[in-house]
Amino acid sequence: MAGSALRRLMAEYRQLTLNPPEGIVAGPISEDNFFEWEALIAGPEGTCFEGGVFPAKLVFPPDYPLSPPKMKFTCEMFHPNIFADGRVCISILHAPGDDPMGYELSAERWSPVQSVEKILLSVVSMLAEPNDESGANVDAAIMWRDNREEFNKIARRIVRKTLGLPS
Amino acid sequence: MDQTEETDAVNRDELIMQQQRQIEKEISDTIPLVSEEQPVDSLNNEYMGDDVYGSKVRDLAAKYRAIRRTRPDGNCFFRAFAYSYLEYLAGHKEDYDAFKELALKSKDKLVALGFPQFTLEDFHDTFMEVIEHVSPGENDKQELHKLFNAQGYSDYVVVYLRLITSGQVQEGADFYQNFIDGNCTIQEFRHQEVEPMYKESDHIHIIALCSALNVGVRVEYMDRGEGGQVKAHDFPEGTDPKVYLLYRPGHYDILYPN
Repeated sequence: MAGSALRRLMAEYRQLTLNPPEGIVAGPISEDNFFEWEALIAGPEGTCFEGGVFPAKLVFPPDYPLSPPKMKFTCEMFHPNIFADGRVCISILHAPGDDPMGYELSAERWSPVQSVEKILLSVVSMLAEPNDESGANVDAAIMWRDNREEFNKIARRIVRKTLGLPS
Repeated sequence: MDQTEETDAVNRDELIMQQQRQIEKEISDTIPLVSEEQPVDSLNNEYMGDDVYGSKVRDLAAKYRAIRRTRPDGNCFFRAFAYSYLEYLAGHKEDYDAFKELALKSKDKLVALGFPQFTLEDFHDTFMEVIEHVSPGENDKQELHKLFNAQGYSDYVVVYLRLITSGQVQEGADFYQNFIDGNCTIQEFRHQEVEPMYKESDHIHIIALCSALNVGVRVEYMDRGEGGQVKAHDFPEGTDPKVYLLYRPGHYDILYPN
């Protein structure tokens, strides 16, 4: 089983290297282990995360792509759909039925024809448009809704931090 | 909810999911993906002293010579169907050739219906490889059984049949919409109930797969209902079945007629 997962991950890596989507770099941390990837995601333009480069780690299960990977930002993050420990909480990372956040029926779910690229593109959209209905970070969700100015300020500080600039 | 409660809630979800995985692992450690043929009356072991099921097992045993069990992992319909149909095709060259042609063309059809070519190809390639391995000229009768108990091949065949089923539901959206309950669109149904692994199948999956592949399936229903006999249902109605399955609430196994 891990054989087909490895074959698929190698193909996805090749694809992402040949045709990288804008603002996304991703690949295995070490060529010895294709089941752990690092991704760098550029904050989408025109949003409070613009200019930042956010590192994240993806861990793939042995039965990938039947089951989805897990994804976790490794930098400080403050966002309604990212847990305090960095774990990303969006519907595409969950199969239907595996539903910790009670996603809407229409939300895009994991299925074997999804891909790393689709996940990362969803994460970029999530950065641009947080979903405050399924709050992984309740404080961030409330601030996003009620005090956008303060939220933007924190986001800009995190952006500077990812670039190694003094806040 | 403060931070501690939030963390607790997350941990609880993690624990539930862990337990779920543990149960799944116990099932997969003890039950093969597809078993060897067993006598039909071996079903009695599960229904000791149960008159309703006892009489239905007798009825079933009069019509079928053997049963082949599949692992109850939510994929049982697709796995049982694929195994049984490929086994039939291995003995029928003309049907095999027609099916291979249909399978070959199915990729372009699914891409045209909007599936991403890149990820689809992976499953299609494996599907074709399996079909190739069980061609009527193949001498090793155990090949099919080996492939279907190798998770990598077996699960990929299931995925591809799910995609074909999903494509069929999409193509016949006007028809299939009638069978889907009101607050779920065709797209939602395909993405939530058909394409993901481990999701159980319903009549709509069976009808869609049978029509997409042009194969008749007979399902023998065995439940607690009255009458003392199993009830046969053919999909699509009036066709000559090539695949025989036993349905007990929540699960499909393969049957071999006398």
